[in-house]
Amino acid sequence: MAYQWDFSPVLANAPLLVEGLVNTLRVTGTALVFGVALGLVLALLRLSPRRYLSWPAGFVIEVFRTTPPLVQLFWFFFALPILVGIEMTPFMAGAVTFSIQSASFFAEVFRAGIQSIERGQWDGARAIGMRHDQALRRIILPQAVKRMIPAFMERAIELMKTTTLIATISYADLLFAANEVSQKTFRPLETYTVVALIYFVVIFLASQVARLVELRLARSGESTVH
Amino acid sequence: MRWDFASVFDNTDALLVGAAGTLRIFAICLVLGLSLGLLVGLGRYSRNRWIHIPATIFVEFFRNTPVLVQILWFYFALPILLPFQISPLVAASLGISLNSAAFSAEIYRGGIQSIETGQWDGARALGMRWGQAMRRIILPQALKRMLPALTNRAIEIFKMSTLASAVAYVELLQQGKLIASLNYNPIEAYTAVAVIFFVFLWPLVQFSYFLERRLKRDE
Repeated sequence: MAYQWDFSPVLANAPLLVEGLVNTLRVTGTALVFGVALGLVLALLRLSPRRYLSWPAGFVIEVFRTTPPLVQLFWFFFALPILVGIEMTPFMAGAVTFSIQSASFFAEVFRAGIQSIERGQWDGARAIGMRHDQALRRIILPQAVKRMIPAFMERAIELMKTTTLIATISYADLLFAANEVSQKTFRPLETYTVVALIYFVVIFLASQVARLVELRLARSGESTVH
Repeated sequence: MRWDFASVFDNTDALLVGAAGTLRIFAICLVLGLSLGLLVGLGRYSRNRWIHIPATIFVEFFRNTPVLVQILWFYFALPILLPFQISPLVAASLGISLNSAAFSAEIYRGGIQSIETGQWDGARALGMRWGQAMRRIILPQALKRMLPALTNRAIEIFKMSTLASAVAYVELLQQGKLIASLNYNPIEAYTAVAVIFFVFLWPLVQFSYFLERRLKRDE
């Protein structure tokens, strides 16, 4: 049985796929920005000596790291809107879910980074009269962030792969566009193959950049955290 | 808004069926993914180009594409090339197992490479062949170092099993969807599903933290 491959119907629908890719990058970018910011907040709360701050932060981090992201997405899309009485678009549900989900992973990266900085740095900052938050902002975080870069990039790549889940609630990302094009052209084999290759090229390039950055950091003698 | 879990408890049977489905696909993908990963990992370690290059391409391809895309490819695209249909369980198991094989191959490779060459030399000095040295000397030591990472992989596989619902395989999330649409109770249904996953996974996650701490202490 020889199947006749024919990519031309898929290529005719290239604009749909491009739009899908742009939407994928939009969700990834949004979740990345909010995820990193929220992750830093969660990490600082979790490191706080005050239990009423560290426990809730630890709870959020553990719940979102332990439950499957698709379950979270369904909860935010189907359950939360009824609970709080607001309309939730698929994009909003995805952005909220992936932001909090990636924030709980980023939080652990931040925590490992901050904890990897030697005590002497804190002591030195204190000795020249800095308060806790000044020491954190000026001395600790700048050093910690550099060590966290490889782990960050790895997480960002994971995030991009996770955003495909948003297709299941009908947001027009690249995977959803694949579904649409394959139904329109009756060419699922070619469509899904092309889309898999698009994902591969984008993610592979991002992985290579991450690898290069890690090598450079390693060469400059910088230790990294994971 | 009043929470009412009675409508969820009325469907305990459906949830049990879902839990059985989740555990089934988890077990299949855990066994296939981790054993295939060992083969691929050894393949990447091989000096023979004909083994080394395909193993590397396999790892790079499956690590750098989303699992959901892989599952949908196996479900919608692959059957066109085959003379038979592919069931949701097979499509989802293929996607998740091959993806896990690629990730665990890197764990095995890192673990094996972390063993000092002196161990190889010692084994060889005792007259062991490569396969014997690997099986009796290197792997037992490497496995101990790899255990935390492999446990994390198992946790990831458990979480990934929910993606099988995208091709309508009957597992917990799929049953949650069903219950929510029959009883108009998405809040309770999806909360219950989330709690069930948390209950399954939390001990496993704590166990992985324990392994990581122990490894850090021992080394």
